[in-house]
Amino acid sequence: MTVKSKADTLKERQDRRFINKETHTAAKYLRRLEELSNAPDGIEQFYQVLKNIYVEMGHTETGNQKTVGTYCVMTPPELIYAAGAVPVKLCSGNYTAFSVGDSVAPRDACPLVKAVAGFKQTGLMPVYEDCSMMIVPITCDCKKKIAGMLSENCNVTTLHIPASRNDEDIEEFTEQLYQLMEKLEKATGSRITFESLSEGFRKVGYAQYELSEFIRLKKQIPYLIRGSHAMAIMNAAAYMPADMWGKALHKVNAALRKNIAENKTVTTKKLPRILLTGSPIVFPNIKIPLLIEETGGIVAADETCMGERGMWDPAVITDYSFDGMIRALANRAVRPCPCPTFADNSQRIYRLKQLIEENQIQGVIYHVLRGCLVYDFEYRRIEYELGKLGIPVIRLESDYNEEDIEQLRIRIEAFIELIKLKQTPEKRTTVRRDF
Amino acid sequence: MKSRKKIIITSAVCIGIAALAYFAWLFPFYEFSVNDYETSIEKLMSEDYLKTLVPLFIIIALSAAGIILAVFVRKQLVRTDSHRSEFAYARTGRAIGKAPEQKPALFMVVRWIAMIVFFFMLIWGGLIFGLKMSSVSIPVLSCPWNTEQMTESSCYYISHLNELFELPIQNILIFFGSTIGFTLLLGRAICGFICPMGLIQDIMDKIRQKTKTEGIKMNDKMYEALTPVKWFILLIFVGLCFIGGNFCNFCPAVAVSPILAGMSTSLYVSGFLMVLVLMGGFFKRRAFCTICPLGTVMGMLHKYSLFRIKKDCQSCTECGACYEACPMGIKIIYTEREKADVTHANCIMCGECVRCCPEDKALSVTFAGKSLYKSSRKKIMSGYEPEKCGRDKK
Repeated sequence: MTVKSKADTLKERQDRRFINKETHTAAKYLRRLEELSNAPDGIEQFYQVLKNIYVEMGHTETGNQKTVGTYCVMTPPELIYAAGAVPVKLCSGNYTAFSVGDSVAPRDACPLVKAVAGFKQTGLMPVYEDCSMMIVPITCDCKKKIAGMLSENCNVTTLHIPASRNDEDIEEFTEQLYQLMEKLEKATGSRITFESLSEGFRKVGYAQYELSEFIRLKKQIPYLIRGSHAMAIMNAAAYMPADMWGKALHKVNAALRKNIAENKTVTTKKLPRILLTGSPIVFPNIKIPLLIEETGGIVAADETCMGERGMWDPAVITDYSFDGMIRALANRAVRPCPCPTFADNSQRIYRLKQLIEENQIQGVIYHVLRGCLVYDFEYRRIEYELGKLGIPVIRLESDYNEEDIEQLRIRIEAFIELIKLKQTPEKRTTVRRDF
Repeated sequence: MKSRKKIIITSAVCIGIAALAYFAWLFPFYEFSVNDYETSIEKLMSEDYLKTLVPLFIIIALSAAGIILAVFVRKQLVRTDSHRSEFAYARTGRAIGKAPEQKPALFMVVRWIAMIVFFFMLIWGGLIFGLKMSSVSIPVLSCPWNTEQMTESSCYYISHLNELFELPIQNILIFFGSTIGFTLLLGRAICGFICPMGLIQDIMDKIRQKTKTEGIKMNDKMYEALTPVKWFILLIFVGLCFIGGNFCNFCPAVAVSPILAGMSTSLYVSGFLMVLVLMGGFFKRRAFCTICPLGTVMGMLHKYSLFRIKKDCQSCTECGACYEACPMGIKIIYTEREKADVTHANCIMCGECVRCCPEDKALSVTFAGKSLYKSSRKKIMSGYEPEKCGRDKK
């Protein structure tokens, strides 16, 4: 008996320590975000959501609706809203969960998956525990195995992602969406009809409507918003219902428009404009965008799945019927997605080139999470292609811990200095203030 | 093995079509005792007009019955399908609610108005305004048996080449001059803006979309399989006159224009084909256009026409919405990554790809280098504006 109670207390102590550390790190990164200057008005709502999830360890605000956990950008949120549930993106960037997951998952698994495994192992995170179902698109080997691991405690559905984007692949994916809908209906108990699917489209469409406006404003040079703040907004979308997120973003857009009118920009100085691409950057693992902006660069655009890419492409209904709408979803999930899980992913290079041109990018930071093979594979090609444009690229490999922060800082600082050297020096009329 | 099977099926279909076209006069759809090509505005007002319209009513009734039957059969099939049966109620039942729709674009409104105006002009134009332009030939599938139409249609002489060369030389020159001139000037925009057959099919498609009935989704393999058939139909179209056949007995367009103009015209295979055209147009947008022989002729010169589809390859995200929307199944429009000009011989300039493109200025319709219609993210998202989604703006 005594042994058992001792074990109990050990578990309790471990849990307490986990919660303590987890909330501590999340709070620290939120603070660092808040400390960055010139955030637009209205961003507090997004901080509040992140705080609620990670610091206060609360539940998502869904009303009476059930939540469905999703992983990659290929899961159509429209379907989940149509089934009367709210999708929550569960890709994790948590350092504490990562260290727990380190002992559960193999050494070479990517930290994102380790963090998910860690949350599953501890069973303490309400966002994970609330899910009545999880949808895991199989975008890499790690995701495949984590799907199996998660299914021990939760109802998990996998989505097979085709390796190419031919017509047959779209048809096959459409077929899968029908099967997914069947499972969604069973999990939530409400039916998916033409009407509810249209409503799902409207919810997500409204969020995308505001996002389009946000990105249009974000492109303005000189900049109205910092990339780290934008990243926080995009990350908060994972834990908010789409319409609520859209409403909150509407306020930010209004504030940004007001800033244009008042000529209020992030900085009057010419900061090196950096494009951040590569492996997903998930709160609280936002050390790289923070480091870039703390060392005097600006994250002008990002091409990561928890960032702009995740929600950018709308599902375009070309045929007004139930099947037409499902096809639109399948098409949107597979064709425009620049995820490296596809065999031929040259469209990612075009996407990067477009971002570089639109945002007048001066340097690209290619972020690779340790063990994230698919992104690492694409680095060489992208370095070669961007080299032809004369854009410097740097590959940053990082893990979910704070040990490499100083090393990353040195490399980012050097990279930014390099870009600054290339820049024509600006004329200074006032006394130089520190950044 | 698979390719051999494909060749056999394709040649069987082609031979079937050829036989049907050659012996078309043996299969009467509706025969008048006397074919009367006299018409006047007074006749259009009188009861006689109703009599000439009888075959058209039969065609409409048959196609409506065919569509209902096809929908019913599919309903049964879906119910027994293992995967999709769960959604039989959503897919085949009456769909309520309204899917988000973007605001109509000016280009689309103009296109619809143009189609409707030309429909009237080509059918009743000669009666109202007189035959001032009747020596001009437009390559459009508006039946020249309707002698009162505004302009001549090139299809008659292309399908009766033996008669063409019996004409006086200036008539031949006018024919070639106007046909080639219009093709170079407008290209297959004629299909998208002028052709009455196009309007009829677009109306069928509109009916389907409004009733939220599912269509048939074509994929690239099906379009590929249709290509040899399309060229074979062109061969019949041009060559049938030399072996003693008459393409007009086979052509579905005969069932529209002369009858509406008040001419009692006996219908042969064309009547049956018109039923198929209407049904096909209902389930797949512009189904007939994919095999239209006149369109194929125009497609050959389309490379030089002034209407172009331009693409900004950098802005394209390859989302494939344009391909999904394209009634002609043109795939290069979304796979092309180098050339700015993506006009394909099959393109009918309906502008659907531009309407569905979510990237700013990625696709545009241009005329002689001047942009007429550009894709825009704002237009795509206009269906999701806060007011439309029932959410207050603040």
